[in-house]
Amino acid sequence: MSMSKHPIAEEELMAYLDGELSLDRAATAAEHLEKCRECQNVAGDLQSVSRRLMVWQVEPSEDSRIAPSVAAALEQRGQAEEKPATRGGLSWRKVFQMPRLPRWVWSSGIAVASLAMLLFMFGVLFFSTNHSPMQYVNMDLAHKKMATQRAALPPLPESEAASTIVTKSGNNVEDGRAGGGGEHERGSSAVPAGPMIVRTAGLTLTTKEFDKARTGLEEILKRHGGYVGQLNVSAPSGSGRTLNATLRVPADQLDATMAELKKLGRVDVESQSGEEVTQQYVDLVARLANARNSEQRLTEILRHRTGELSDVLAVEVEIERVRGEIEQMEAERKNLAHQVDFATLSATLTEEYENQLQAVPVSTFTRIRNAAVDGYSTVTESVVSLVLFLFSYGPVLLLWGGLLFFSLRIIWRRLRKNAKNT
Amino acid sequence: MVSDEALMLEFQRGSREAFEELFARYRGPLYGFFQRRLESQERAEDLAQETFLAVIRATARYEPRALVRTYLYGIALKLVAAERRKQQNAPANQSDAEPATDDATEEALWVRQALGKLDVGEREILMLREYEQLSYSEIAELLRLPVNTVRSRLFRSRMALKGYLEPEMKSHGTVTARGATGNTEVRTAEVRPEKDEA
Repeated sequence: MSMSKHPIAEEELMAYLDGELSLDRAATAAEHLEKCRECQNVAGDLQSVSRRLMVWQVEPSEDSRIAPSVAAALEQRGQAEEKPATRGGLSWRKVFQMPRLPRWVWSSGIAVASLAMLLFMFGVLFFSTNHSPMQYVNMDLAHKKMATQRAALPPLPESEAASTIVTKSGNNVEDGRAGGGGEHERGSSAVPAGPMIVRTAGLTLTTKEFDKARTGLEEILKRHGGYVGQLNVSAPSGSGRTLNATLRVPADQLDATMAELKKLGRVDVESQSGEEVTQQYVDLVARLANARNSEQRLTEILRHRTGELSDVLAVEVEIERVRGEIEQMEAERKNLAHQVDFATLSATLTEEYENQLQAVPVSTFTRIRNAAVDGYSTVTESVVSLVLFLFSYGPVLLLWGGLLFFSLRIIWRRLRKNAKNT
Repeated sequence: MVSDEALMLEFQRGSREAFEELFARYRGPLYGFFQRRLESQERAEDLAQETFLAVIRATARYEPRALVRTYLYGIALKLVAAERRKQQNAPANQSDAEPATDDATEEALWVRQALGKLDVGEREILMLREYEQLSYSEIAELLRLPVNTVRSRLFRSRMALKGYLEPEMKSHGTVTARGATGNTEVRTAEVRPEKDEA
């Protein structure tokens, strides 16, 4: 039966007889069937087969009651419905009133979660191998966080605020509340007339003539009555020398010293800060005076009064304790006074490094050999890295990859099935 | 009349009457389904009941997007497959099986025999269409096949069956048919049919 002669195929004719053809095709089929003898024969054959099949009829079963096993299951289910909490506890789906989701929805969820997990892992791996971007991000975040925290803090009272000024190359720094600690005459119990400020400063210089700069630094320090607290010089190969020094300079000489030091080279970083310690100093002096009074009274007691030996010994012990405290506080006071009198200057001197010309060029053979050695070590390192990577991330990649694969396969099958059915 | 699906939903909510109504509607068709596919009337009866047992146990899994009819025959098909596997594993019990159609007419026997010669897959499609009156799409869903495949296989099986039945239509008294292999078989009405190939 050809399509040129018959507008409908035999299968369509059968579907028409079964009532399974679409309306437009059914109209065509009905119209054609009226005229076409050949198709009428096919239709007759098909109907005949169906009629013949109907000859095989099954005798209905005599027993049409529900079997006892089914009735028992029904009964059991009825009881379970009445007491849902007693069997298996509460269903989370019922508690949260969640509808039963089809399997492909769960699969999609798992696929998305697996994919996100894998992407996250690759992201972590990428950033852990390339430190710089992550570090910059972290630093940036940290700075932002600190700035936010600073903004959130209430402003410090004028007397307590520590003045901190940091400037970049060449900017002169003027601390308006400079300490001038040396102006104060501080006796053992004297209260300072003005504010006491512990000043610290930092200076980073770069110089072409390192040796000359170092000598200059020592001279400047000597001229202003300062001294070196700590000094380190490092001279690594392939780069310039570096001097790190902690200098102690009389507080009133700090500005003059820094001004002179800045002439030794190019200023990279300059910073100054001051911390007011007046309150701390006054407290310490007051406690010291009290302790001295106590010591005096105890000495008086020991001198004028007589009593049992145990009492005398107890007073002796007390005097000893008070004297210990006095000495400790005195040391603290002196240290504080020294810090105020002598500012701390952290200086870093870096030599501007100039690459030395290679006098004897490296031979081609040596370069090839070096390249081969580098290549070999690179290959070895990459193989070892790969093995390490597989050992450390393999199982977890396998887990999430497997989940992703199987859930995508379920979705894919579902889509294919839908496509076939349509 | 309340639809099967509405009854099933009522049963999901705990209505015993809804179940009884469904049982009354489908017990007979399911019995016929099993009876035509298996040898034993007793087993057909048991499996029909077992289908409803499975329905009770898996009520929660029923989704309203599927027809109850398709759902029930889906369970029934699985039970038939399990029963056939069981029979294959225990061939000794086959002789004990009670003949299905003691009083079957000659023509009915011939139809059974002709059906037995069809390809297993095609025969199932034909039987689901003719006896269970399922639509093409329902058969496609049950057997997990594309609708077009169902239609073409159904057509093939009907044409093949016509070929098997034609010799019998022409002759009277003796039953003759050409087997799938081309060998000629001659059977009288007294001859009991062989066990269904499937």
